[in-house]
Amino acid sequence: MTPAVIAQIEPIATPEIEWFAVSPLLVLVGGALVLLTAAALARSRPPRGFYALFTVVTAALAVACSALLWQRVTDPGRGPFTAIGGAITIDGFSVFFAVTITAAIALGALLADDYLRREGLDGPELYVLMLLSGTGGVVMAMANDLIVVFLGLETLSIALYVMAGLHLRRLESQESAIKYFVLGSFSSAFLLYGIALVYGATGSTNFGAIAGFLSGNVLASNGLLLAGFALLLVGLGFKVAAVPFHVWTPDVYQGAPTPVTAFMASASKAAGFAALLRVFVSTFDVYRLDWRPLMWGLAVLSLLVGSFLAVVQSDVKRMLAYSSISHAGFILVGAEAASDRGIAGALFYLLAYTFMVVGSFGVATLVGGRGDADHGLSAYRGLSRRRPLLALAFTVLLLAQAGVPLTSGFLAKFYVIGAAVEADSYALALIAMLSAVVAAFVYLRITVAMYMGDETEGAEAVTRPAVRVPPGAALALGVAVAFTIVVGILPSPVVDFARDAVPVLLSAP
Amino acid sequence: MLVNQFLVLGAVLFSIGVYGVLARRNGVLVLMSIELILNAVNINLVALGALQGASGAVTGQVFALFVITIAAAEVGVGLAIVLLIYRNRASVDLDEVDLMKG
Amino acid sequence: MAAQNLVFAVLAVVAVLAALRVVTTRNVVHAALYLVAVLGSVGALYVLLAAEFLAAVQVLIYIGAIVVLFLFGIMLTRPTLGRESGLDNDQRWLAGITGLFLFGVLSYVLVEAFGDERLPRLEGLDREALTAERGTGAVGDAIFSTYLVPFEVVSVLLLAALVGAIVLARRE
Repeated sequence: MTPAVIAQIEPIATPEIEWFAVSPLLVLVGGALVLLTAAALARSRPPRGFYALFTVVTAALAVACSALLWQRVTDPGRGPFTAIGGAITIDGFSVFFAVTITAAIALGALLADDYLRREGLDGPELYVLMLLSGTGGVVMAMANDLIVVFLGLETLSIALYVMAGLHLRRLESQESAIKYFVLGSFSSAFLLYGIALVYGATGSTNFGAIAGFLSGNVLASNGLLLAGFALLLVGLGFKVAAVPFHVWTPDVYQGAPTPVTAFMASASKAAGFAALLRVFVSTFDVYRLDWRPLMWGLAVLSLLVGSFLAVVQSDVKRMLAYSSISHAGFILVGAEAASDRGIAGALFYLLAYTFMVVGSFGVATLVGGRGDADHGLSAYRGLSRRRPLLALAFTVLLLAQAGVPLTSGFLAKFYVIGAAVEADSYALALIAMLSAVVAAFVYLRITVAMYMGDETEGAEAVTRPAVRVPPGAALALGVAVAFTIVVGILPSPVVDFARDAVPVLLSAP
Repeated sequence: MLVNQFLVLGAVLFSIGVYGVLARRNGVLVLMSIELILNAVNINLVALGALQGASGAVTGQVFALFVITIAAAEVGVGLAIVLLIYRNRASVDLDEVDLMKG
Repeated sequence: MAAQNLVFAVLAVVAVLAALRVVTTRNVVHAALYLVAVLGSVGALYVLLAAEFLAAVQVLIYIGAIVVLFLFGIMLTRPTLGRESGLDNDQRWLAGITGLFLFGVLSYVLVEAFGDERLPRLEGLDREALTAERGTGAVGDAIFSTYLVPFEVVSVLLLAALVGAIVLARRE
């Protein structure tokens, strides 16, 4: 083309880019790119723990950016806003999830550090994938458009499929990867079909526009919209491991490398709930009479199936997998309430759960030993004598999951059940309490095994290789335990954080 | 042309794809069935977009382009996982991949 | 338009029959070739819907790259070509019922929602105006303005897929 022709071309009207709004995302992606490039160019192996340290520093920077964003969105003069052509929303909700998911990245990286060296897998790949996967999760939380939700979900998932299969030689790890991949891509295809139907019914994929359309128009026939809701629930229900879309959870959690399971159980569930809460509770608010029964069913099934099946497991990773299903049920109880209080309860639960679950799988990482295979309940017998502090930490985390007072887990259950009662979902509140009692049995079973391993098994314990507690994992466990206890005793900062993080619906400018 | 010609064709392809994912046990064939579903979604997106006038037509196409990109990425990662399984077991039979029970 | 409907009918029949063969054939290579037929018909349907750029992408990426990837996958995992048993599991009936049920529900809600609503006719309208507002240029403009965020997220996704595929496929 001649310069004259080029001069005639109109430049594209690109949207204004608020770099500050997406700074947590930029930090996470930038960290992944720098790590990848540096690892490829470095002549010699970096010092031990460099990759994990780098990931933790990146995560800390992302949290710092989120803190600045938090100041901006809670400032009454400025408040929440949409950015970059209305594709993303920056409100308390997105900042809350940016912090939650970033915390999961940092803790996961600390656990992975020694694990990878122990298993002979050391390298930057897991950390890069974790950062990219977390980026996808934060994108899901910030999304103001169904397209962005879907792409964030795929970024999160594709990195996770690979992370699940990262222990290349272990057959269970490969099995975990293929099962997660097949079922995951199947469920995201359902989600995509649901998005297409909602787009057809409302004429837009932007949340603000969808909500505006739904409140402004009475649809003559809403079958299309309801089918869309159902398919969206399939896709998101799979991500948060809600029954009946949970079949993959025990196998994938058991087979995946344990630090990856910790990350998967925390970040992926948080991101799934971010999308679920923003799409259903916030955007489809007008149609709450239609989706609340569906959510009710998911919550009841997840609570009951999760807690009852956890009881009959003999593998600790599978127990924790089923218990994570029942935790999803509790968070759904908060979502079902469809109120600000319900959302705040669900958010508090998610943040508390993130630390509890990463800590619990962190203990499993250490006890699993070389080969990541020793996850039977017998591996925990007599742990209190061999590693008293580790056993104590696990006990705190398990009691918190059971909902014992003075832990964050108790308050989390208290807030979601309170929200359900306030929304007149008495039956659901009752079922939630019942399932908490059943699930408590599982956690007690593990605790009892740690403290009451009798003498014959004590003799066996001598032959077991000693459980090593490397510094990185010790730090992660310490943070998880400290968070669980401190928030259990002084909950008000986190309660305020969750209360101010209720999603805001904003249309594109 | 009726918009439903395209939408119902999409529904047919979607259902065939779902059948394929559920009925096949060869890993590569399951991936192909997922491609059928994604194509069904794309037909829907483009047809529904065309119904919304010019800006909708563009939205539908752009969304479909993103879906094609994702399909490519999924197939790349999916085949890598299938090959990993094949290297260790000399089989891509998903029903045989079942070590964990509980 | 009778001619358009005739073309649609031919393409739809090809797509559905080929799709049925993809999920029933006993030969993995044939399944990949039937998939090409489905993808080609869908690409032609995009032309019918006035989405030419998408049709080109469908041929270049789907048929040109993804199917070739599938064929590589088949060749690397199946040293023997030809008919083979054991491609299906024993849930065929359950799968068939699920598929039929989904088809029933979806076609019901689609017919209920859109009835005999017609796609807007583009014949006889000003060609240049049409190209400007919904042609390839408009699609490109949309990607770099309205859909800038999704576009950038896709780049992150492709990076993750790239790193992931290399991690999984390398030999130790």
